[in-house]
Amino acid sequence: MSALITISLLAILVLYLGLFKAKQALLPVTLIGLLAALGLAVSQWDTFAEPIYSGMMLFDKYAVAFSAITIISTLLIFLLSKDYFERISENVAEYYAVILFALAGIIVMVSFHNLTMLFIGIEIMSVSLYILAGIKKKDFASNEAALKYFLMGAFSTGFLLFGVALLYGATGSFDLEAIRSYIIQNPQQVSPIFYAGILLMIIGLSFKVGAAPFHFWAPDVYEGSPALVTAFMSTVVKTAGFAAFLRLFMVCFSPVQSFWIPIFVTFAALSLLVGNVTAVYQQHFKRMLAYSSISHVGYMLFAMISLNSESDSSVFVYAAAYSVASIIAFAVLIVLQRQVGNDSFDSFNGISKKNPFLAFTLTIAMLSLAGIPLTAGFIGKLMMFSRALAGYHIYLTVFAVLNALVGIFYYFRVIIAMYFRPAERNELVVSPLFKFVLAVSAIATVILGIYPDLITRLI
Amino acid sequence: MNLFYLVAFLSIFFSLLVIFSKNPVHSVLYLIVTFFTFTIHYILLNAQFLAIVNFIVYMGAIMVLFLFVLMLLNLNKDTEPMKSNLIKIAGVVAGLCLLVTLVGSLRAVDTSAPIVLKNPGIGLVKNLGKVLFNEFLLPFEVSSILLFSAMVGAVLLAKKDPK
Repeated sequence: MSALITISLLAILVLYLGLFKAKQALLPVTLIGLLAALGLAVSQWDTFAEPIYSGMMLFDKYAVAFSAITIISTLLIFLLSKDYFERISENVAEYYAVILFALAGIIVMVSFHNLTMLFIGIEIMSVSLYILAGIKKKDFASNEAALKYFLMGAFSTGFLLFGVALLYGATGSFDLEAIRSYIIQNPQQVSPIFYAGILLMIIGLSFKVGAAPFHFWAPDVYEGSPALVTAFMSTVVKTAGFAAFLRLFMVCFSPVQSFWIPIFVTFAALSLLVGNVTAVYQQHFKRMLAYSSISHVGYMLFAMISLNSESDSSVFVYAAAYSVASIIAFAVLIVLQRQVGNDSFDSFNGISKKNPFLAFTLTIAMLSLAGIPLTAGFIGKLMMFSRALAGYHIYLTVFAVLNALVGIFYYFRVIIAMYFRPAERNELVVSPLFKFVLAVSAIATVILGIYPDLITRLI
Repeated sequence: MNLFYLVAFLSIFFSLLVIFSKNPVHSVLYLIVTFFTFTIHYILLNAQFLAIVNFIVYMGAIMVLFLFVLMLLNLNKDTEPMKSNLIKIAGVVAGLCLLVTLVGSLRAVDTSAPIVLKNPGIGLVKNLGKVLFNEFLLPFEVSSILLFSAMVGAVLLAKKDPK
């Protein structure tokens, strides 16, 4: 709770700093505030957690772990934002504030214990993201992204809300524990309205995380939004969406697993297929990342199809691995877009000669995203596959392994372009902050890959 | 009960007209009538606060906004944006699938015997306020972040850049 309050107040403080033209203070204040929020969140780690404010929120280990990882990812993204927003317009403080508001919504999403809080959390996050997608006002693609995201997002919110209403109609409560005890007490005669409610919740939440077949907004929105905002969307927002998804289904709906597991199996297989196959055909790095993020949603859905006490830590590890690797990829993308003005695969040619450090970190990120051993991505995929096998979904696992092979193909295109396609080019200038973020993320990826026990047993 | 069926029929009738009328302005006007029938539903359920809010906010504010947008975009002609038949068919199939799912699940529901509310005044402003400021205080307060963020964003997007 104190982390949520800190972040909300920090956003207002940042707005005041913008009002008094304290441009230089924006980034340091934001970083210090986020560190404070991180400390406050982690300090609640081993305390005895129980629902607070008449059962509205619950800061258990799950909530603290996901709050911590979203706050850390946001910190890294803020470090990349130096000089980024200034190029778009004068209103830098407002951009910072809106990102912080989105983070506040995310904290609510990962720690909800009541469906009203889930809804409000998702809305705070989504409304902030609609704005962030459209901050390049003169850029047509950015406008299109914002409008598309807004229309699709508002539509999916309708499904979510309808689902919440039906669940309330069936159980008479918004509280997660109360809904669960309703299922346990009426095992034979769960109201059919309840199932319709679960279906609509699945649709609404799948829209928000971008799982196929509800992924149609994702590529255009990810491509059109400014790169930094896309980085935020595809790391922090996706992690939070999955945290909320898993929390809802683990706490609430696990007694009726047999109803919704086939749905998730279908969604996972479709997301893998659509994401990987379309990513192969992309010629631009950013769009490739957008489609590959759909395929990563497919892998993360594996945690939902055989729920037990390990599901949460497998989503946690996968989300952590995916987030740090994506942050490296987007950092390189920002550098390229700013200095080359193009993000097609050809523009990666010969980077390794002039910028060996940049090429090396991006290689680690690509290896991690592809799931090569000794990187965090491998551990994440391994845990996901073992989840699927634990539920005896053998065909799905085989299918996923095939898709992972396809994934290796398009991730390695970048590496091959960097190392084996020589080209005359100027050295890219990488600022110290970028270097810091790249180094930290790369080290984290490797350490988690070699010694995964650091976080696999956390939750 | 007869009054309920009459109002329910009118709601469905006017909401169908919203979809089927070609002229967007007519659609919006039908939507206003649909919302008005909802208001009557709320009054029949003794939910006075919801009825008033629905009347003021939806019929008043949001509908005026709709009409403004239509006027600004100059959509008041019989313009149907071009849609290919394939998209129309896909839309109809998807919508009907959802309808079948919902009807299928609702068909299995028994109509319960008319419930006598334990507290007939449950929809009154007083009781609603008590629930909102006791049990649901936290969501109520956290909504302020939502509104504030939306406000900052609206100003941010609508403001003209000096450049």
